[in-house]
Amino acid sequence: MPRHPSLFLAAVAAAALLAALACLGPTTVSHRSGLMEYLYPKNRLAPQPNPAGATLTLPLRIGVAFVPASGGTYPASLLPATVEKHLLDLLKDAFRNKPWVKDIQVIPTTYLSPRGGFDNLDQVSRLYGVSVIALVSVDQIQYTNPKWYSFAYLSIVGAYVLPGDRNDTRTLIDAAVFHAPTRTFLLRAPGQSIVKGSSTAVNLQERLREDSAKGLELAMGELARNLDAEVDAFKAQVASGERKEVDVITSQGSSLRATGGRGGAFGGFEVMAGLALAAAAVWRRRRA
Amino acid sequence: MSPFVLTREALLQPWRLWTCHALQFGWTHALLNLGALAVPAALVRPRVWPRMALALLVLAPVLGLAILLHLGDAEYRGASGLACAAWALAGVHLARARESRMEGLVLLGLLSAKLLAEIVAGATFLPGGPGWVSLPAAHRWGAALGVVGSPLLAAGEGRKPKA
Repeated sequence: MPRHPSLFLAAVAAAALLAALACLGPTTVSHRSGLMEYLYPKNRLAPQPNPAGATLTLPLRIGVAFVPASGGTYPASLLPATVEKHLLDLLKDAFRNKPWVKDIQVIPTTYLSPRGGFDNLDQVSRLYGVSVIALVSVDQIQYTNPKWYSFAYLSIVGAYVLPGDRNDTRTLIDAAVFHAPTRTFLLRAPGQSIVKGSSTAVNLQERLREDSAKGLELAMGELARNLDAEVDAFKAQVASGERKEVDVITSQGSSLRATGGRGGAFGGFEVMAGLALAAAAVWRRRRA
Repeated sequence: MSPFVLTREALLQPWRLWTCHALQFGWTHALLNLGALAVPAALVRPRVWPRMALALLVLAPVLGLAILLHLGDAEYRGASGLACAAWALAGVHLARARESRMEGLVLLGLLSAKLLAEIVAGATFLPGGPGWVSLPAAHRWGAALGVVGSPLLAAGEGRKPKA
């Protein structure tokens, strides 16, 4: 027993109060995986693209993977494997029935090395037999701000029953699609979401995990929709010749760059002949 | 991609079967097709115009579905398939009446010559542009549908106006 029990108790109470007050302050948690850090580690320059350009033969075998977290720490995956697979399956389901898709392979992040660069991408693309890989990177920030009545947490009971924390989860998911053999960037699409909620001090971490999963799922849904639109825009760009470094060979064996669009067109000769006939007919009717 | 061009998705988005005929690949494409559509309109009597417009409205989605058979992964836009249908509709309609038989036969002859040239030479002599080529099958289907749909112009022809 300390010689001055009252002093000891006061010190413990002060420490507890400080700890409780520390819990009342705003906090920020972020999850981030960087595409550029993965593809271009140590500020390496972007590799020269293949001068022959990328030729995509439809239907495509596509790989999708989350970019590993930077820093080379274990585990490389930013998200739990089950969450990661669930999210990539959402993307897979959204594109499963597209006529230009033959197969979509979900590649676990553990198969990608942090800061692996295009060499690592080549290895994975060969391993899975895919030439096109969509790399999905995540940037999620979770803000927690105390509400005005969060001081009630000091009563201990309040920490269990009062939802005194306002949570705000902002998620941005970005998918960048590459043709791995030629290291050609094809297209990108974003998806974002904001999830707002509140929680008690005790279930704060659990609630943040739930909000994180919900935010990722919503953002992935938007990403799938945006990616669909970007694919259409990409096809139009290839067809119009804007993307000179890329060509798409359709399942009929024709080049999209040459025949991306089919048009019904009259030639000048037929139109002139037709108009001459119409003019002659009108002239004949007026004479008659 | 425009939500109005003709692609395989038209099976789920049926408006594309109509709208694709109104979209063109550029001003030249649009003017040539507009000129082609003007020919039958100038040849038939103005009182036939509403029935011709209605017939083209009915034939447009059927033509769109027929074009899908040849389209694969590509997209289609252009009014020439519909213009061929209009030429065939007007040609048959004019050829049925004694006073305009010659005009109808010449119009059908011109259309046949165009289709024959496309079968022999392919689409090489037709206008195209960056990223698109002409689809002669659309013209053949348009002409065939125009001939099949020509009774639509004759409907109500002999009816006397109500007093």
